[in-house]
Amino acid sequence: MTTWIRIVWIVVLPIIALLISIFFMGLSRKVIARVQRRYGPPLYQPVIDLVKLFTQHSNISHGMIFDMGLIIALAGSLVTLLFIPVAGIHPLSSSGDLLVLIYLMLISPIGMALSAGASGNPNASLGISRKLTLALGYEVPLLLVLLAVMTQSGTTSLLSFVQGQSMSIFSWGLFRLPLSAIAMLLILPVMLGIRPFDIVGAPQEIASGPQVEFGGKYLALASIEHGLHLFIVIALFVDLFLGGAANLGTFFLKMLGVFLIGVLIGAVYPRFKIDQALKYCWKWPTLFALSGLILVMIIGG
Amino acid sequence: MILEILVIVGLVAPLLGVAIGRGRPRVRSFYSLLVAIFPLVTLATLYGQTIAIQYARLPFLEIDLSLRLTPLSWFFGIAISVIGFCALLYSSAYMKDRKRLDLFYFLFLLVNGGMLGVVLSGDLFTFYILWEIMSISTFMAISINGKAALAAGIKYILFSIIGSSAMLIAIVSLYVSFATVDIAALVAAMSGATVGYAIFILMMFSLAFGIKNAVVPFHTWLPDAYSESATPFSAVLSGMLTRLGVYGFLLAMYVLIGSGMLQRFNYHGISFSIVLAWLGAISIVVPTFIALLQHDAKKLLAWHGIGQGGYMLLGIALGSSLGVAGGIFHTLNHAIYIVLLFLVVGSVQYRTGGVTDLNRLGGLAKRMPITFIGGLLGISGLIGMPLTNGFVSKWLIYKALILDSHPFLALAALIGTWGTILSVFKFLHNVFLGQLPEEYKDVKEVPLTMQIPMLLFGALILLFGIFPGIPLRVVALIEMHFSIDPIGSTLFGVPKAVGELNMINIFAAVLVAGLAVYGVFSLARRSRRVTQYDNYAAGAPVPVGQYQHSVRFYDQADRIIRPYLRDRVDDFYGWISTQSTAFFEQLRKIYSGNVNTYALWIVILLGVFVAMNLLGWRP
Repeated sequence: MTTWIRIVWIVVLPIIALLISIFFMGLSRKVIARVQRRYGPPLYQPVIDLVKLFTQHSNISHGMIFDMGLIIALAGSLVTLLFIPVAGIHPLSSSGDLLVLIYLMLISPIGMALSAGASGNPNASLGISRKLTLALGYEVPLLLVLLAVMTQSGTTSLLSFVQGQSMSIFSWGLFRLPLSAIAMLLILPVMLGIRPFDIVGAPQEIASGPQVEFGGKYLALASIEHGLHLFIVIALFVDLFLGGAANLGTFFLKMLGVFLIGVLIGAVYPRFKIDQALKYCWKWPTLFALSGLILVMIIGG
Repeated sequence: MILEILVIVGLVAPLLGVAIGRGRPRVRSFYSLLVAIFPLVTLATLYGQTIAIQYARLPFLEIDLSLRLTPLSWFFGIAISVIGFCALLYSSAYMKDRKRLDLFYFLFLLVNGGMLGVVLSGDLFTFYILWEIMSISTFMAISINGKAALAAGIKYILFSIIGSSAMLIAIVSLYVSFATVDIAALVAAMSGATVGYAIFILMMFSLAFGIKNAVVPFHTWLPDAYSESATPFSAVLSGMLTRLGVYGFLLAMYVLIGSGMLQRFNYHGISFSIVLAWLGAISIVVPTFIALLQHDAKKLLAWHGIGQGGYMLLGIALGSSLGVAGGIFHTLNHAIYIVLLFLVVGSVQYRTGGVTDLNRLGGLAKRMPITFIGGLLGISGLIGMPLTNGFVSKWLIYKALILDSHPFLALAALIGTWGTILSVFKFLHNVFLGQLPEEYKDVKEVPLTMQIPMLLFGALILLFGIFPGIPLRVVALIEMHFSIDPIGSTLFGVPKAVGELNMINIFAAVLVAGLAVYGVFSLARRSRRVTQYDNYAAGAPVPVGQYQHSVRFYDQADRIIRPYLRDRVDDFYGWISTQSTAFFEQLRKIYSGNVNTYALWIVILLGVFVAMNLLGWRP
């Protein structure tokens, strides 16, 4: 890719991601409503919400760190996006590999935690504590999965791993590392924070947790950040186990499939408690991921 | 000549300082700063040079004593000097009006001089003497406040003596075998030694340096020593002094034994490197999660000191170009951010009257913004967030582990990162975020002399994070000195052949994204500032100043993991200690004070000798 095309993609990719994630957010409300035999809001409801929040007349701030934390969080998600190959588009992947990606994914939760912490609201503090605890839970199997991927392919480059799956459907990560794929699928709802793992922002318990003090433009930016996070996690799954895609349409369909599985599970489950979620993460997903890694070690990369 | 001056100044200047500065605090501070900046300037002018000189000859042992400057000693020397200078600058305000300051400054400068001497030693005799000067003055500096501090100091010196004894055994054995203690001469001699002998020497040195670097299971001296000493000294202790263990490992493994010989240590797939790497991995995981359970700021950082030492060991144990570079670079990075974090804790102590209990602080970011920025940069470095120095060195270590097919070691290192995130975020949150307690309403930012060191180290974290090529060039020189392939680096990362890392692109991306988001943020209406009590609690009013919301921050995780994280090693040493106290208490009864009893013992001993003679038994 020449520099100019690259710069164009750097601008366009976040916009595509934004559109897809807004569509997903609308879709999930509709799907959950239909499962629960409600009619549900229109598909474009998130757009209405965002416009309304963003143009709201009064905004409340708890100070500099409160503002900056949120900005860092959203910027972090945007940057992370640029390191994930999406249907052959990979504007920055030569500047950072999968290890860099793991660490880039930290920026946005830390930013959010700073912002929430600066609000001084006890519910926000509780929310961060839950968020970080939950992250500790799912990171154990996730890291095992990523290590299996890296060990098997003998490289830390995400791009070359995606390209290695392009031959046929059987070269997909799903078939090369089935146990790891199952493990990641099991923790996907935890990473996305959808029910039964919406512990962090549980509205009825801790008043939306970290977001409790967000209103107006703050809430708008926080929802965008949440949407981008959805996109990043699902795109990562598609890249690792579903062979990426040659064009945007296929990539979108694959993402849609993964997302719907998560939403349908979430629609019928009640919320877990945090300790239940931790034990869940450290039981089956970890077991699968660990066996996957051991298998890779035995068979060899 | 210049090296001799450096070492002599390091050892004599502290004494002179007592004479000059007694009762004149300002003169004393100024003098100590002058002493501390001297090696910094001198070493800076010596960049890239290799010097070796003989300064004396011990007549009765027939050995030459020498000093030498190598890339490795330059690297550590410059770090020692910068940290020493900044910690002293910080002390001038922090330590003001405390007791026993003459002794404190004397010991501080002596520890600094001792460390510098250790890295400049050209033979093991000088090395040992200076190592002991350093250890003993550290012991005194730790225990300067008596009581709990004294107990911590004794714990430290006990471990230290065990380590030094092991080192002495190795040095004496080398002297007996090769009739020299000069490092350069020993390198040549060791290449002809048997593998068994080399392992013996390496084991003895590993014990000494493992204790100094607080590798599990020799770590138990560290948490007490760090948390009981005066905070600027804790910074030096954690930043550099403990890391001389890493220096020692590098010296023993890659200079004395050499990487060629090191690879021959292989017993059915179990090599020295693997054992060391696993010790490093255990040192990462367990202490990092123990840190999560701490609620004392200094203890929390101390446990991370052990954990981060594990990363360094993991890197240097591998022996690959990437791994060794990562380990050495991490030593520098760790020094930068851990010193910064200790200084941040010190600043909080300075303004709150010595509070380090995380359950009693909060909201200080509003009152101490510079300290907060220091804390934020420090924890970012410790976590290894992209754009900080800690990220690059950790990346090198992970990459080395994965390319060498050690995914489980890599897992230990990566999981350690998550333990780190949780515990240091708790640190930042409980000190600086959340609600500001009423009692700290009027707290002010610390004075300028305390801000400058914090800002400097904060800037270094970002500088080495975005331009890792600057320190990596020196690291490459060190690797050449070890005859390992030097790591290739560009100013902003590593070349394509090594891997995909370009920090300036990441930096640019973060900057542009941040500005874009800020632009969108400013498009909407301006927001109104509200007080910390003006917040939503689902309709219920939150009582003001009554609750501390961040006590037991990770209660749920805590409950699950705590049972697994008891420091059994410390329990074991405690058990040995009580048992041996009881034993020696019994033994003491021999000394009854009665001359007749002593005579009886002598008669019994003679009787034993006579009996042995009669029976013809000769040992």
